[in-house]
Amino acid sequence: MASTLPALAIPGQRLGPVTSYSAGPGTHVQQSNVYASIAGPVVVEPAQPGSKGKATLSVSRSIRAPGTGNASKPVTTAPGAKPAATSATPKPKVKYNTLPAVDSVVLARVTRVQKRQATVSILVVLDESGSTQGVNPSQTTSDNDNIEAILSSAANPENHSSSDELRFQALIRKEDVRAVEKDRVVMDEMFRVGDIVRGTVISLGDQSFYYLTTARNDLGVVMARSEAGNMMFPVSWKEMRDSVTGQAEMRKVARPF
Amino acid sequence: MPLDTSTTYPLTKLRLDGRRWNELRLLQAQISTNPASSGSSYLAMGNTTIMCSVHGPAEGRRGDATGGAAGSSGAVVEVDVNVAGFAGVDRKRRAGGSDKQSSRIATTLRAAFQSHLHTYLYPHSTISIHVSVLSADGSLLAAAINACTLALVDAGIPMPGLLCGCTAGMSGSASTPRDPRNDELDPLLDLSLPEEQELPFLTVGTTTSVPVGENAMDDDEEDMKVSMLNMDSKVHCTYVETMLAVGIDGCNQIREILEGVIKGSNKLR
Repeated sequence: MASTLPALAIPGQRLGPVTSYSAGPGTHVQQSNVYASIAGPVVVEPAQPGSKGKATLSVSRSIRAPGTGNASKPVTTAPGAKPAATSATPKPKVKYNTLPAVDSVVLARVTRVQKRQATVSILVVLDESGSTQGVNPSQTTSDNDNIEAILSSAANPENHSSSDELRFQALIRKEDVRAVEKDRVVMDEMFRVGDIVRGTVISLGDQSFYYLTTARNDLGVVMARSEAGNMMFPVSWKEMRDSVTGQAEMRKVARPF
Repeated sequence: MPLDTSTTYPLTKLRLDGRRWNELRLLQAQISTNPASSGSSYLAMGNTTIMCSVHGPAEGRRGDATGGAAGSSGAVVEVDVNVAGFAGVDRKRRAGGSDKQSSRIATTLRAAFQSHLHTYLYPHSTISIHVSVLSADGSLLAAAINACTLALVDAGIPMPGLLCGCTAGMSGSASTPRDPRNDELDPLLDLSLPEEQELPFLTVGTTTSVPVGENAMDDDEEDMKVSMLNMDSKVHCTYVETMLAVGIDGCNQIREILEGVIKGSNKLR
């Protein structure tokens, strides 16, 4: 059955019966057959060895078939491929690294703090694998290494130019700041303009704003400058201290690693 | 002798542009022609040339007549057809706005694609299709359907199959009942503008159909489903079946060409 699968599918092309495949993204089922509904390379994802499921057929929207340079045959991903084990090799799954999706962890800079919400602009979308299973410390540190340069430049007030308008804008609503005592949140004591915040996307929102939440211990302000302009270090979950003057300021602090 | 199909065709069995009854005009197409849109296409059927671009699925405009609850079950398809002033033989100067012809094409396209696409995947969204007719030489609606299909495929909007359009006509006025013993009228495929103006014709749009039964998997022959049928001219009802059959066959040919265009595009290579 696998030999009949085409490398490239065209909408309306029959891919296989539902008895042997289940329909993934980019396909639909008609009269107990799986059909392609978009044009692109066909991806076969074999069922998990333990489960009795069927292989999942999907049609990718990407320009290039993931994993293989030329789409000479249907792409087959290894059944037990774990993202952690194959971190050195390119991951079989298509990654949308540049676009925030629901549940992706992002780093954002606060651009405006209002009474009910804080406006932030998204600087980096972190790897999705780190977000789904909590936070894997080793994974996150490597991410932090990669983005250190970006962050240091972003935290520098000299770089606060109009480039904010080019980035993805997001909102952190008052009730999404923390998980406990939601009604006692005072936005001014949670964020200041210029803070770097780690959050997860809870909604793609409307056309202008994503919605973020920081209601988790590992989410919140990761970098901040005091009123004197010095970098601050976290001292508790809601306080950061200036390393030079010793001045304490209130923040919704992310748990440091 | 005036040079038109109804007088010369019975003598030569060749149409004005030298085609036989069952021949399509040269069909050339490209997709991803406009990087600024979600999907775009350029399609030329003979001298009919159409550019099409698709935007979306995107959030519908606020305060839109279709906005709010209208799109809650699925995306709303918007079609905007613009026939360029230089598209026809004589230049038309219009003070903006759309004329009757282009708004009819837009309505037909909107209805055809609204029911064709998998709009349920995109609730509260709008898929807007913009069709520009650069040069009009007959079969406008059919060419617009094909261009839209290509642009929608380029945009990656899920659909059950390619929706292809084609015109078919009769080589005479066909106003009297058909005589099966003395069949002097031939059906014609893919009419050009001079033919459209003198002969009865219909536009048919088909998509690959639902195969029926369990063993439909084995035969490679795909059945068709007529999803759009439009006829403005008068013809005796005994001819309609012939025209329809020829039109559907033309759609099949066009589908193969369009599939080749999609497979050969840079997007997938």
